[in-house]
Amino acid sequence: MTIATADHPVSRRPIDGWRWAGRIFLTLLLIFTVMPMIWMLITSLKTGFAAMQYPPQWWPTEPTLGNYTRLLDPTNSVGQEFLRYFWNSLWVSTLTTILAIVVAVPAAYAFSRFRFPGRTVLFFAVLLRNMFPAVIFLVPLFILMRWLGLVNTHGSLVLTYLTFGLPLAIWLLKGFYDNIPIQLEQAARIDGATRLQAFLFIVMPLSTPGIIATAIYSFIGAWNEYIYAYTFLTRHDQMTLPVGIQRFFSENATDWPGLMAATFMMSVPVVVLFLVLQKYFVRALTEGAVKH
Amino acid sequence: MSGVTEGAIFTDRPRTGADKRAGLLSRMWKQRADYLYVLPALIVMMVVIAYPIYYTIDLSLFRTPASLQLRDKIFIGLDNYTTILSSASFWKVTWQTLIWTFFSTLFAFLLGLGAALALHREFVGRGLLRALLLIPWVVSAVAASYVWKWLYHSDFGAIGAMMVQLGLADQPINFVDNINTALPSLIVVNIWKEFSFAMIMLMAGLQTVPEQLLRAAKVDGANAWQRFWHVTFPHLAGVSTVTILLLMVANFNSFIIPWIMTGGGPAGSTDIWITQIYQLAFGRQRWGVAAAYSVLLFLIMMTLGYFYVRALTQGDKERAGA
Repeated sequence: MTIATADHPVSRRPIDGWRWAGRIFLTLLLIFTVMPMIWMLITSLKTGFAAMQYPPQWWPTEPTLGNYTRLLDPTNSVGQEFLRYFWNSLWVSTLTTILAIVVAVPAAYAFSRFRFPGRTVLFFAVLLRNMFPAVIFLVPLFILMRWLGLVNTHGSLVLTYLTFGLPLAIWLLKGFYDNIPIQLEQAARIDGATRLQAFLFIVMPLSTPGIIATAIYSFIGAWNEYIYAYTFLTRHDQMTLPVGIQRFFSENATDWPGLMAATFMMSVPVVVLFLVLQKYFVRALTEGAVKH
Repeated sequence: MSGVTEGAIFTDRPRTGADKRAGLLSRMWKQRADYLYVLPALIVMMVVIAYPIYYTIDLSLFRTPASLQLRDKIFIGLDNYTTILSSASFWKVTWQTLIWTFFSTLFAFLLGLGAALALHREFVGRGLLRALLLIPWVVSAVAASYVWKWLYHSDFGAIGAMMVQLGLADQPINFVDNINTALPSLIVVNIWKEFSFAMIMLMAGLQTVPEQLLRAAKVDGANAWQRFWHVTFPHLAGVSTVTILLLMVANFNSFIIPWIMTGGGPAGSTDIWITQIYQLAFGRQRWGVAAAYSVLLFLIMMTLGYFYVRALTQGDKERAGA
C-alpha cells in the first residue's frame, strides 16, 4: 500500500492505498447490486420472443413498452388483475401504516417517558417478538383468523402486519422521543397544559420525522410481505401484489418480460418512497443505534 | 425488508434506589394510568403473539387430522418430536440450514462492513451511492427472487451467458436445478438482499467512533490498519454483535427466497427449516409434526434471543459505567 503513495508524492495523505482499495471495493459492490436491477429493466423492454434468445440480446433490438401498457390497461384480463392486486396492496399497506402509528405513538411515548414497573420487561418482550419466524405463527394465526371469520379478507393481513410491525415502530419512535428534552414538556405543564396537551402540542410536532420514518418502515414492510398473504388469501380478487404476481405467471411461466415488468412496477412505490424520504429513514436507524 | 430491521440498542436510565424500595403492587397501582398508553399495543400483541405460541406448543403434542378439525386430535405426547429427530431428512435439512445461515450472515456482514468503512469518508456522490446500495434491502424478497431466477435461468440466463462469453464456461450453467450449485446460488441472492442492512447498521456504529481518538492514534504513528483494529473496531463491537445476531435470526427464518426460487428443490437440496415446516403443514397437512418442528425452532430462537438481549444490556452497562 505504501508503494502507491510513493508514486504520488503530491498526495496529501499517506493512506491513498486504502482509499483506492475502498473505491475498487465500492465499484464492485455497486456492480453486484445494480446489475440485477438493470437486467430486470432491460428484459422488461423485450418481447417474449426477444427474451428467449441465446446468446441474450444485451440490449433489445426492438425495445417495447408493450409489457407495461398491458399491465396498466384495465380492459384486458392481465391488466385488470394486476391493477386489482396493486390496489389491494396499496389499501392493505396504507391501513396498516395508519393503524401502526396510532397504536405505536402512545406506546413508544410511554416507554420513553414513564417509569412504570415492568416496562423493561415489556420492552424486551416487544423486541423479542421479532426473533420468531412467521411460520411459527402461521398455523395458529390461520386458525385464529378462521375463527374470527377473517380468512380471505384484508382484515387478516392488516391485523397480522400491525402486530409484526409494532415492535419496530415502537422502538423507532422511542428513539425519537428519547431525544426530545423532557424540559419542554415540563415547561408546558408549568404553563398550565395537561399531560395530554403537552404530548399533543409539544411532543407530537417535534417527533414528526420519527413518525414519517416509522410510517415508511410500516408501509414497506406491509407492501413486501409474502408469507401471510400467501397463506391467508386464496381468493384472487383479494390478493396483494407479491402473491398475485406469482399466480399470474405460473400459468404461462415463459413470459419473463411480463414478469420483469410486473416486478419493476411492484418495486417502484417502495423504492420511490424510500429515495424521497431517505433522510428520515436512515436517521431513524442511526438515532437508535448511536444514542448515548 | 424482512425481520432484520430492528437493530435495537437502547439505553435504559438506571432506576433510582427509592424506586426499587417501594412495593411493586403499590407502584403498579400508582402508575396505573401509564399502562393505558401501552395497552392497545399490548392487547394486539397478546392476541396475535402469545396465543399462537401457546397454541403451537399444545398442538405439537397431538396427532391431528388433515382437515384441521381439532375436535378429532389425539394426544400422543412427544411422539411428534421423536418422529422429527429420527428422520433422515431432519439432519440433512438442519445441515443445509446451518450452511445457509452461516455463509449468508458471514458475507452479508463482511460486505456491509467494507461498504460502511468505504462510505464513511465524504466524497462526491456518496449519498447517491449509499441510496443505490440500499435498494436491494428495500425491494421485496419476492421481486428479488424472480429477478435472480431469471438471471440464473438455465437457457437464457444473463449470468450463464456472460460466463460463456468471458470464457469461464463452455455452456450456460444450470445454477438452480443442480443439487451442487443450488444452495450456493441462493445464498448469493440472500447476500445481495441483506448486506445493506449490515452496511447501514455499521455506518451508524461508525459515527460513535471518536474522531479525536483516531487523530491521536495517527499522530502517534498508527497506520490505517492499526487505527482500524485498535480504535475503530472495538467501538463497533457492540453494533457488530447485534447486527450479526439479527442477520442470523433473519437467515434462520428465511422463507421467500428458497420458496420462490426452488421450492426447496432440486431433490431437497435447498430445503431449510422454514420451508420444511411450511411444506409439512400446508403441503402435507401434518399439523402436529409441523408444530413440533416450530417448537424446536422456537427454542433455538430463544437461545439466540438470550444472546441478543445480553448483547443489548451489556452495551447499556458499559455506557452506564463509562
